[in-house]
Amino acid sequence: MAQIYYEDVKEGSDIPTLEKTPTTRTLVMWAGASGDFFELHYEKEFAKTMGFPNVLVHGRLEAAYLTQLLTDWIGEKGELKKMTVQYRGNAFPGDKLLCKGKVTKKYVKDGQNLVEVEISVENPAGQKITPGTAVVALPAKK
Amino acid sequence: MTTDQRKFASSLDEVKTYIGKKREESMEIDGTVIRAYCECIGDPNPMWKQTAPPGLVTTAMISSGAMLIGVPLPYKRSVAGGADWEFFKPIKKGDKIFTSHEFTELQDKSGDKGPRALMVYKSTHKNQKGEVVAVSTNTIMSY
Repeated sequence: MAQIYYEDVKEGSDIPTLEKTPTTRTLVMWAGASGDFFELHYEKEFAKTMGFPNVLVHGRLEAAYLTQLLTDWIGEKGELKKMTVQYRGNAFPGDKLLCKGKVTKKYVKDGQNLVEVEISVENPAGQKITPGTAVVALPAKK
Repeated sequence: MTTDQRKFASSLDEVKTYIGKKREESMEIDGTVIRAYCECIGDPNPMWKQTAPPGLVTTAMISSGAMLIGVPLPYKRSVAGGADWEFFKPIKKGDKIFTSHEFTELQDKSGDKGPRALMVYKSTHKNQKGEVVAVSTNTIMSY
């Protein structure tokens, strides 16, 4: 992976999209990796009693995908400083999810080269089910 | 979100009595923990051989612990509303992370759509040197 530098980044530009298709198997692995054993994420009958047609992808798994979107992009010398997400919609096992990001602002503060990014997870219908924002620090070329 | 202890409160005032209640936990970040996380999300980045991915503690391993404080839910249904994370220092393989979860806030958002409340939890993650490595804020919506 090539290192991206502060000088390479333009406000308004997109960062490379990350594609994920979590399956029920992924959700079971996530339950184990997160300690989140809420039945809503693996027991269909339970999900139906809560008004959902199927089990739901964990919102925090989607958030984990967004952290990967950012760490893939900023490389070894970049630092993820802050991230905020809102869980607005639902994803179901087998859905192809697109994790996207767009640079909204870049500035130098306290000697750090900071970049603000608007991030989101989009469901197959193109809805931003998990929008958010992030701040990363990037190395400078000189 | 985890609601392993799905107990319910009889009023918002009862939920409020839990504000300030804390729960502590700790976890050793070894190679097995990192690998389980990376295999699950599908993140083969070689950086994670020595360093924990930022999502590991905040979105996964220790993210559910706040729910175990045992704050009763005001209403029947609840979902994760949002989260906010600040990262101060990288977590290295071999670090031990000490997390303090606290139920910090209850907001009554009841209105035309019916009863609704936001429950805010703050989790502070420190390493074995006592340095704050990350702070997580999680909001649960009960309705």
